[in-house]
Amino acid sequence: MKPTKPTPQRRPVLRGRAGRHLHGGPLTYAVLILFTAGSLFPLVWTAIAASRNNTRLSQTPPPFWFGGNLFKNLQTAWTDANMGLALLNTAVVAGTIALGTVLFSTLAGFAFAKLRFRFKNLLMLLVVATMMVPPQLSVVPLFMTVAELQWTDQLQAVILPTLVSAFGVFFMRQYLVQALPSELVEAARVDGASSLRIIWHIVFPAARPAMAVLGMLTFVAAWNDFFWPIIALTQDNPTVQVALANLGQGFVPDQSVIMAGALLGTLPLLLAFVLFGRQIVGGIMQGAVKG
Amino acid sequence: MRPYTDQSGPAASPSSGDAVPAPDRRATAAVERPQAGDRRRAWRSRRYRWDTKYSPYAFVAPFFVFFAAFGVFPLLYTGWSSLHRVSLSAPNDMEWVGLHNYTRLLEDEFFWNALRNTFTIGVLSTVPQLLMALGIAHLLNYRLRASGFFRVAILTPYATSVAAATLVFVLLFGRDYGMINWVLDAVGLGKVDWQSGTLSSQVAVSTIVIWRWTGYNALIYLAAMQAVPNDLYESAALDGATRWQQFLHVTIPSLRPTILFTVVVSTIGATQLFGEPLLFGGAGGQKGGASHQFQTLGLYLYEQGWFNFHLGRASAIAWSMFLILLIVAGVHLLVARRLRKSQ
Amino acid sequence: MRTSTRTRRRAVVVAAVVALGAGLLGGCAEDSDEGTGGGGSGGSKKDAKGRTVIEIGTFGVFGYKQAGLYDEYMKLHPEILIKEDVTERVDTYYPELLTHLAANSGLQDIQAIEVGNINEIATTQADKFEDLSKAPGIDKSNWLDWKWAQGTARDGRTVALGTDIGPMGLCYRKDLFAKAGLPTDREAVGKLWAGDWQKYVDVGKRYKAKGPGGTTFTDSAAGLFAAVNNGYAERFYDGDGKLIYKDSPAVKTAWDLAMQAAEGGLTGKLKQFDKAWDQAYANGTFATVSCPPWMLGYIKEKAGTAGEDKWDVAAAPKPANWGGSFIGVPKAGKNKAEAIKLAAWLTAPEQQAKLFDKQASFPSTPPAYDLDVVSGARNPYFGDAPTGQLFAEAAKGIPTLVLGPKDQQIGTAFGDVGILQVEQQGKSPQEGWKAALKEIDNAVDG
Repeated sequence: MKPTKPTPQRRPVLRGRAGRHLHGGPLTYAVLILFTAGSLFPLVWTAIAASRNNTRLSQTPPPFWFGGNLFKNLQTAWTDANMGLALLNTAVVAGTIALGTVLFSTLAGFAFAKLRFRFKNLLMLLVVATMMVPPQLSVVPLFMTVAELQWTDQLQAVILPTLVSAFGVFFMRQYLVQALPSELVEAARVDGASSLRIIWHIVFPAARPAMAVLGMLTFVAAWNDFFWPIIALTQDNPTVQVALANLGQGFVPDQSVIMAGALLGTLPLLLAFVLFGRQIVGGIMQGAVKG
Repeated sequence: MRPYTDQSGPAASPSSGDAVPAPDRRATAAVERPQAGDRRRAWRSRRYRWDTKYSPYAFVAPFFVFFAAFGVFPLLYTGWSSLHRVSLSAPNDMEWVGLHNYTRLLEDEFFWNALRNTFTIGVLSTVPQLLMALGIAHLLNYRLRASGFFRVAILTPYATSVAAATLVFVLLFGRDYGMINWVLDAVGLGKVDWQSGTLSSQVAVSTIVIWRWTGYNALIYLAAMQAVPNDLYESAALDGATRWQQFLHVTIPSLRPTILFTVVVSTIGATQLFGEPLLFGGAGGQKGGASHQFQTLGLYLYEQGWFNFHLGRASAIAWSMFLILLIVAGVHLLVARRLRKSQ
Repeated sequence: MRTSTRTRRRAVVVAAVVALGAGLLGGCAEDSDEGTGGGGSGGSKKDAKGRTVIEIGTFGVFGYKQAGLYDEYMKLHPEILIKEDVTERVDTYYPELLTHLAANSGLQDIQAIEVGNINEIATTQADKFEDLSKAPGIDKSNWLDWKWAQGTARDGRTVALGTDIGPMGLCYRKDLFAKAGLPTDREAVGKLWAGDWQKYVDVGKRYKAKGPGGTTFTDSAAGLFAAVNNGYAERFYDGDGKLIYKDSPAVKTAWDLAMQAAEGGLTGKLKQFDKAWDQAYANGTFATVSCPPWMLGYIKEKAGTAGEDKWDVAAAPKPANWGGSFIGVPKAGKNKAEAIKLAAWLTAPEQQAKLFDKQASFPSTPPAYDLDVVSGARNPYFGDAPTGQLFAEAAKGIPTLVLGPKDQQIGTAFGDVGILQVEQQGKSPQEGWKAALKEIDNAVDG
């Protein structure tokens, strides 16, 4: 089990392996197409529902094809759910959280993987244990803290508590233990390089693939985070999920508008999937081998 | 003294033992060499000592500062609250009740019901999800046309949020006007009142979870499958094993650690399940149905704390969830150790 | 005791924040400046033009802004700037308000309170609110006695002023009634069940026998339960604050009627405010629903053009109240004097009448009923029904409701658990009753 850096060179080696040289039969395609259809259908139907109106959605059989209200409904959802602000807020929140998590997790992960310091194992154990803490656990005291600091309804109320993640530290540690040769760090040390230099010129380049995966995972998770933002924020300054939750539960004129809101909230991520799908898939798979 | 590496061994022989990949040339070249000058050297060496001694703490510090403020502090505070009677209408008036909130939970049939639901929904969502992911990964591992499309397509549900996904499924699962019931009715199976039944509501909630996560897990399995050495299959084939037998006796055993990893992650997710049942329940969703038939622990906590305003009790539920997860993790560790030994 | 706990908690919080480090907080300063509403430093708040800013926190659609009342006030008082902070759902808004009250921070100058929470506020949070009973410009005699009483604490301090109330009528579908051989004229329909909810259920049985297939007499048994229950003075609590839900005549009668409706198949087995309920409006699958003024707008939106000329509204069997709100001025607010002036103005009969005209929120101040906008109000969607007169009539007969701190939880336990188990899950009334009581025990037990 010798660690190598997961670089693109590894791919051709993988290609020759396993069952990959076998061609898939018609049955394979049939099952995959069915499964893909199942994966995509709810998304497509969201768009169909968003293009109809309340009355049509209340009838049977339900609509199977697009109607003419898509643009109108998107517009209504946009204004009613404060969607423009919500999208902007979510981008800021998810971006900041992803950046913070990646940065802090890489630093801490490096320290845990390659450095020696007091209480290291105990601290690592603490980190792993908190991966199992249910998020609901912290809500009450967090809310009281946030209220005390008068952060209610402000973005830092959702950014700061999620700025670091135990999973991230664990993830980066696991990755760097394998991907970063200790000898490389040592050689730089012997040459008199400062810690900051080592971080910048050795650790970051080595960790880059994992940082990308962690950043993406964190961004998607933060974009879709639900439990805490709903409590900390209100419709006045919402993230997408807060806006959606209120669309789904309040006094709302039209079901298809709700679906249009859901579509708006998902669209940016879907767009990213369409544009960078290959990279995202590759990233998750690289992360998976290490994790 | 080798402050800068965690591996034991003689400092003089960096290349002894394991084969070491060539250092990244870019990285080494970028490191400046020390310059001459005695005073400078003394200063440098002092700085060097300080740097090596304290920088590890500086690296972990940001994480632990935030972690202490937003992770450990609320955890301990909740633990403290769970020993008190305290209402959301007066969170500052705490009345010490010792373990009352916990002993009360033991006799609280709503708690046991929520625990049972969390478990059954967990099984209903995790087992089919991982089995399907395994199967899909196996299929994706063949040489395929449009394999890139399939991979991206099965991952797209992962991009949707709980809220958006649940909104769609609530409509699809609608009793009177939902598409699923319309199809069931059309093929003569009759409509199902998805929300009212215990099994049906749990199946519906699980469906949302399965839909969102199967593709993601399939990719993780696929990555692990591609790392299985080909000669294992070849020798199995030589022994006359069919494809199915190869899958069973080569693929699955090689995937064990990955499977265990996904099981743990899914279990943690299942224990914390909250958004799907809440939104599936519609108005007053915190109850999880008229008989609490799909109320999970997360929902029960929410109902007690934010609807009934029993903060102390909600804290006790939260800590119970934490303890349950610790037990699950302990079991996982034991199983993992047993597996490692048996290999 | 109380103070010491709070001091300790504050110390812990402050310690946690200090631990965060000034630098880290500094990094977020940008965000906090952008944040809207809330926050702010102590002292009276002014905007760039030197106007005093009054912040008002509401939930749902209060309608002040939509009815143009803020604009009107700011025109009258150029030195004032009103900002509204709306939380969509009261069950998010209220826990937040409680937390803010406990922390004495994050409060708006004026805070709205829903009728389901007013008792808890008046009994447990009275010391956090200004006493409005003797404030200038506020005339107690303007309000309905019971409305005024609900916002008043035991020691006589009035912590919140009544805004709207929800006097109930009964909305019905003329087309479905005609098909079932029932009268369609609103006077005649009102007479069908005047004075007794049992008559209403009996009409339901007639409807069930003759009404068009695929439709039911009413939407939900829980809705019927609430409507009947709301017509009594004492429901879940008696005048001394004792819990009497187990054998109060109100609960007994309401439960019995709800069971008749559920077991007799008179209901659509729907849950109010659920998606399926909205869809049923669109499809017109039930014939009646109990209807406070704000419900008219809801029906119009959900039933849409398909329901045009089909709905009408008649008098309910008995006068009852469903919904309504209050506004109070927290002591921790920054501009208390100005806030009280604004609160008094917003709840004065003239403004309440305007709000009814624009937003269908019915005034809690009888002098408003004689104003033309109220007395002459008609609703074109509901067959030009004289809604002003109808609801004013209903409002006068509403009994003085006795409220308690856990009203909301108890009501939900009956409606969303006990009744729904019988109606949707086919359990027996005994099982449903037992389940509801167990639910309530769990909610009221500290």
